[in-house]
Amino acid sequence: MDQDLSYQLAFGTYEDALRMVGAASEPRTAATPVSGARIQLFAAMVHDGNRSYWDAEFAQQKWGGLPAPPALLMGWLIPPPWQPGGRASAASIALRVPLPGNTFINAANECEFLQPIVEGDLLTVVEELVSVSPEKRTRLGVGHFVQTLQTYRRQDGTVVATCRNTLFRFTPGAAP
Amino acid sequence: MTEDLDWNEISVPVDLPEVVDHISYQRVVENSGATWDYFPGHFDPGYAQSQGNPTIYVNTMHLAGFADRVATDWAGPSSRVVRRSLRLAGSIYAGDIMVGRGRAVAKRRDASVHPPRCLVDIQIEVTNQHGALCCPVELTLQMPEYP
Repeated sequence: MDQDLSYQLAFGTYEDALRMVGAASEPRTAATPVSGARIQLFAAMVHDGNRSYWDAEFAQQKWGGLPAPPALLMGWLIPPPWQPGGRASAASIALRVPLPGNTFINAANECEFLQPIVEGDLLTVVEELVSVSPEKRTRLGVGHFVQTLQTYRRQDGTVVATCRNTLFRFTPGAAP
Repeated sequence: MTEDLDWNEISVPVDLPEVVDHISYQRVVENSGATWDYFPGHFDPGYAQSQGNPTIYVNTMHLAGFADRVATDWAGPSSRVVRRSLRLAGSIYAGDIMVGRGRAVAKRRDASVHPPRCLVDIQIEVTNQHGALCCPVELTLQMPEYP
């Protein structure tokens, strides 16, 4: 078990988890604003030659700056892997749900991108715990599906995106 | 602009060009570097195996970015993803080939906002080299309309 990971997960019973449904997190603001360097690093990883990410002049005219790839949305809210004075908690509310499972894997994700997000924007997210499923068995093991709703705002308060994410919080084990 | 498709000129259904991408170990490790998602399943094969996976696998943001690329490679850089829903049905592992096949299935004018938006609904299947469906995606693009 990875030390950092176990540190982030909260442990408890399914009944404990159900008591947390409906809870919302405090607003959490990104450590750094949306930047051209990270936009292009992500586009490079995906091998995405979309001119909007690479041609600053075109992007300025079309979007008012290099646009953040929609797929990188949740990445802006992950703190850098090291910070002076200690790393800010990266733990999404989904990991703070008390459950028995000692690991997790993502299961589904649904996002609406209401407004373009461009370089220079500073995003803030509020997360809400929507539901926790009864115990399920999958090919990976036994656990619970945890659904959260994220609402992303930029610095002027405009909601720019909303996401529903479902992850599977489980303990690995062979199917019976 | 010639590199952009015109919403008015599209008839649905239409198949999008297939996108094929070879996912090396480096590419998976780039996930953590580019997204700051240092979940160990994306860079530590031992951890991935302890979860019951054969090795490290691409993260949700990479799969989403690949699906977006299938759509915008086709429609052009003036299009924008306004909605995307995906399911992680299976994983793309280091060493796999990721294949994206898209089909535009509907076009509609959304008059609930002002000015109205020209939208295209696209279904994408991300499969691996064995043909296993790893990630079904429903995606909506906003597209330009030229007079």
